[in-house]
This record gives sequence, structure tokens and C-alpha cells, in this order.
Amino acid sequence: MTTLIDAIIYSSLLSMMGFGLTMVRRTTGVWNVAQAGLVSIGAYCIFSGVNFLGGAPYIYLPLAFVVGAAVNALLFWFFVNPLRKRGSSFFILLVATIAFNIVLTGIINIYADFLQNVFSFSSKNFLMTQLDLHFLGESAIFFVSLVSLILLTVILFLFLNYTRVGLALRGSIEDPTLSKVMGVQINWIYLLSWAIAGGTAGFAGGLLPMRFQCNPGIGGSLIAVMFSVSILGGVGEIYGPFLGGWLVGFAQIYGINLLARAFGPWVLSYKQLLPMLILVLALLFTPEGLSGFDWTGKLRALITEEGEAR
Amino acid sequence: MQQLALFVTDFIALLGIYLIITFSLRLQLGYAGIANFGLVLAFTGGAYTVGWLPIRLGMWFFGINSGLSSDMIWNNTIIISRINPHLQSKPFMAIVIFILTLIVAGLVGALLGFLSGYPAARLRGDYLAIALLALGEVLAIIGGNFSPLVGGALGVQVPDVWNWVGDFRFLTVSLLIFFFSLAVWGYMRFLEKSPMSRTLRAIRDNRDAASSLGKPVTSIRLKTLVTGGVLCSISGALYAFYTTGVTAGAYGMFDWTFLPWVMAIFGGVHSNLGVLLGTFLFVLVRKLITFYKYSLGFLPFSPVWLQYLLTGGVVLTVLLIKPSGLITEKPSYTISKEKLKQIASRVLNGS
Repeated sequence: MTTLIDAIIYSSLLSMMGFGLTMVRRTTGVWNVAQAGLVSIGAYCIFSGVNFLGGAPYIYLPLAFVVGAAVNALLFWFFVNPLRKRGSSFFILLVATIAFNIVLTGIINIYADFLQNVFSFSSKNFLMTQLDLHFLGESAIFFVSLVSLILLTVILFLFLNYTRVGLALRGSIEDPTLSKVMGVQINWIYLLSWAIAGGTAGFAGGLLPMRFQCNPGIGGSLIAVMFSVSILGGVGEIYGPFLGGWLVGFAQIYGINLLARAFGPWVLSYKQLLPMLILVLALLFTPEGLSGFDWTGKLRALITEEGEAR
Repeated sequence: MQQLALFVTDFIALLGIYLIITFSLRLQLGYAGIANFGLVLAFTGGAYTVGWLPIRLGMWFFGINSGLSSDMIWNNTIIISRINPHLQSKPFMAIVIFILTLIVAGLVGALLGFLSGYPAARLRGDYLAIALLALGEVLAIIGGNFSPLVGGALGVQVPDVWNWVGDFRFLTVSLLIFFFSLAVWGYMRFLEKSPMSRTLRAIRDNRDAASSLGKPVTSIRLKTLVTGGVLCSISGALYAFYTTGVTAGAYGMFDWTFLPWVMAIFGGVHSNLGVLLGTFLFVLVRKLITFYKYSLGFLPFSPVWLQYLLTGGVVLTVLLIKPSGLITEKPSYTISKEKLKQIASRVLNGS
């Protein structure tokens, strides 16, 4: 049961993190490695809020969202957008996000050192399960992570389908040139997408310490998993990471247990390799992701082949 | 004075190590347009080869008690303490172990380049970069968990194949590494004028056009990844020989992938001189921060993190101001400029 709950929490958080990656890749064509730093920032927002101001950790989730959104918007506005306007290649943009992530890593570590040396907080390694609330005999993080993911999906659906800005965002994704012609302020729309992506990463990072051990490098240690989620889910579909997150999360938690049963407990040490393996397999066999895969077409082809064979 | 000598020696060694990696990136990214974010993979492979092979070669060559081989990791220190005196008195054997290990490290690098490149070379642009980025940490995870390889998280000591030099051991190894890097530079200069460099650039600039002209694009990209892997692996092996120790945790993404990228992008990845300049400046700044770390002890945080701010900040600034780096790509001439002038004057004079 604990394994199932862990898998659900982990998958929900991964889905939110992967969503941020997919969102900016889909809108601006950039793989944002700084997503790693944003997750760590979210975790430290919650840690700082609780240690300085007290109260339940969950009340600081909006702060994690706002800080994540602001930092990612900053990255887009001052670095990514000017480079995009100049027509920089994908690797220059990727390097820019890596460089920004390096800066974030430095800042987060300096901040963690500062909290430890000046305020004597154990900020280099922390877990906040003891501060979690309980509901129906289960930790609140289980419900919060799941409800947050469902809410995010519903809000996103309503936003993209029933608001002017959401429709403009969809239009900008589908056809940026036509959107410009129709008077959409495309740069503001892109900025918004980066802010939403950063906010979601910060929010997911803020939930991490409620179940998992956190340190300044927590985001960095999850970046390969986030890429797996995003690519497996498919960058062509904005809801893809929700599928990818659950597949990767369950595969990582249940898959490794199954492998351990088959090959022995030594396999458990290599848990981190699983998302990389999934990523490589996904890239090789379905680079467009599961949501971008032509399931009906393949099924139709299969049925037709069988019919012809008869 | 002694501290300055140590600083210079270590600087030369690190410069050489990083130059080999950045030239490998120059080959892959600068010429072929392959954004290899997995440089650390082959580097780690080379270092692991040094952590595994020389100790076994030493035991075999010098007939060290085979009973100790029942647990090479537990007995690592004892075995090293028995091999090192032999190496001190038999320089020829020490050099043989060094060369054999470098050859195997090169082969390991080629294999890793092939294994990571075989599926990846078929991918385009950013998907390839992401695949290589994810694969980069694979060996670090394996090495950290599978202790028979290089002792897991605790690591292993490596036989000191240069201890016969005596007091000048570190200087000798530093200079040797530096000469290796100069040899790689020589190779890059040779490549610059060769038809292969033009083929690589054609693939980089327009893969479809190069393919339509009969160039085996995937195969050439794969060969480039393999060559890059060999260079990175040799660099990792030289680094492990220099430090005489291998620990799985020492080969992180920041130091051995992102930093070389920063150096190359800063100097200009499309120019040999640019790569040389970028690497020189960054290694110098990095060494200075490490050197003066204790003078900054009053700070309420570890000064090591300043390196991160500086590195990331410099790259972002360079990308915004001069994305092509300090030195930009220049057309390469198949024959020297003097010869070109001679031909031009002959044509103009009508002779």
C-alpha cells in the first residue's frame, strides 16, 4: 500500500514537472534545463517559509509557484527571447538554459549554506514529513499532490479552451505567424507560458520535501526523469506529460521492484538508471511520444493486414 | 614559492585535461554540429579503466600474491603499496602499464562513443542532445553502486606509474598531459585543412544536402562521436593517472560536461584558437578561486559556489553579446595562403 501511495505521489509530482518542460518546448521550441533549479527553488521556498514564519508547509505553496514563475519568466525575457529573436540555434538556447541553471545551482547552494551557517538550520538535507497533516489516516501530501494534478489539468483545459488568452496561447503554438497577423502579442503569450511552466515546477518542488529527502541538488537529480516524462508523454500534446509522468513514476517504483524480484535485490541500487533507459527507448521507438503516436492508424493498419491475410 | 610551483603544476595539468575534452567538443559540435552533452560518459570510462586495469597489470607483471586478488577493493591499499616500489625501480614496466592502459582507455572511449552514438546519431538536433545528456550519468551511477568496478562511493587508489621520476613527479605528469593536449591540437589543425573537415561542416550546415551528395551522414556522425569518445576517455585516464585515485562521485556533469561546454562556447567552438583561449581563461579562473578559497573564509557560504555564478553569468553574457564566442569561424584553406598568392599572381600575370 505504501508503495502504491509513493508511486501516486511521485507520479503526480513528475507529471507537474514534466508539464513545465513540455509547455516551453511546445511554445518556444526550447528544452529548459533550468527546470531543475526551479524545482529546488520550490523546495527551498517551503523550507524557508516553515522555518522563518511557521505554520503548515502547504500555505507556502503559492509562494513556491510565484517564485518559480518569476524566475522562469526572467530567464525567458532577458535571455531566451533575445536569443530566439536573433535566430539562435537550438543548442545555443539549450546552453543558455544550462548556464542559467548553473547560476541557480550556485544561488541555491549559497542560500542553503547561508541558512545553515547563520541560522543553524539543517538546510543541506531536509525532509518535512513530520510537519505533514493527516487526513483519513493518510498523509495529506497524497491528497494534495493528486488533487493538485487534477486541478492543474482541469484549469489548464478550461484556460486553453475557454479564455481569450488561452486560445491565443493555443493559436501561438499551432501557428505563430498567423497569430501575429491576428494581433496576438506573441511575446507576452510566450512569457506567460514560461511563467506557468516555472510556477508549476516551483509548486511541484514545494511538495517534494513532504515525502522525499531534499537538498540543493534535488532538481538536478530529477532532470533526466523530467525529460523522460516529457518525451515519453510527447511534446506534441500539452497533456502528454500527465500520461508520461504516471508511466515513468510507476515504472520507476513498481518496475524496479519487479526487476528486483526477477534478478535479485541488487537491482534496487540501479533505480536511477530506469528513467534513462525509458528515455532512450522512447527516443528510439516513439520520439513523438505516446500521445503523438498514431494509435488509431496503427490499429487500423493491423486490422486491414489481418483482413487481407484472411 | 612552493605554493606558486604547485599552482603552476596543477594549472598545466588541468589545462591539458580540459583542452583534450574541449577539442573533442570542437570536433563534435564545432565541425559536425553534434551537441554532445554526454562528454562525461567517455571521460568517466577512461578514469574507470585506470581504476581497474593498471592494478591488475601490476599484479601480473610483478607477480604480486594472487591471494590478494580475492577482494581487489578491500585489499586495494595493500596491493598498491606492493606494486608502487616495483614501479619505482622498473620505469620501463611502469611506462608499459601506462601505455597499455591508455590504449585500453581509448578503446573503452570508442566503445562508449559507439554505444551512446549508435541510437543517438539517428536522432536530430535537440533530441540527440537530450539523449546524450541523460546517458552522461549512466557510468557514474553504475560505478557508484557496483563496487567491484572502482570501489563504489569510496573509490580506489591507482598505481603511481610516474613515481620513478621522484620529486619531479607532478611536474612530469603535468607536462606529459600538456604535450598530449598539444598533440590533439596538432590533430585539429591537420583536420582543419583536410577534406574531412569540409565534409563535417557540410553535414553540420545541411544534413540533407550532404546526404543527397552521397555522404554517409549517419556513419560519419557516428565516427565523429567515436573519435570524440576516444579523446574524452584518454583525458579521463590521464586525469586519473595524475590524481592516482578514482572515485565514482568525482566525475560529475558540471565539471566534465557543462564546464567544457562553457569554455568552448566562450572562446568560440568553431575555432581552434577560440577553444584554446576559452579553456585557458576558465581553467585559470577556476584555479584562482580554488587557490584563494581559504582567503574568502569570512563568507557565510562556501566560495566554491562563486564559481557557479561566475561560470553561468559569463556564458549568459557571452551568448547575449557575442554568441559565436570570442573568436569566430574562418574559412579554411586547403593550401597555404602563400601558395594561394603565388597561384593568384601566376594567373594574373598570365603565365
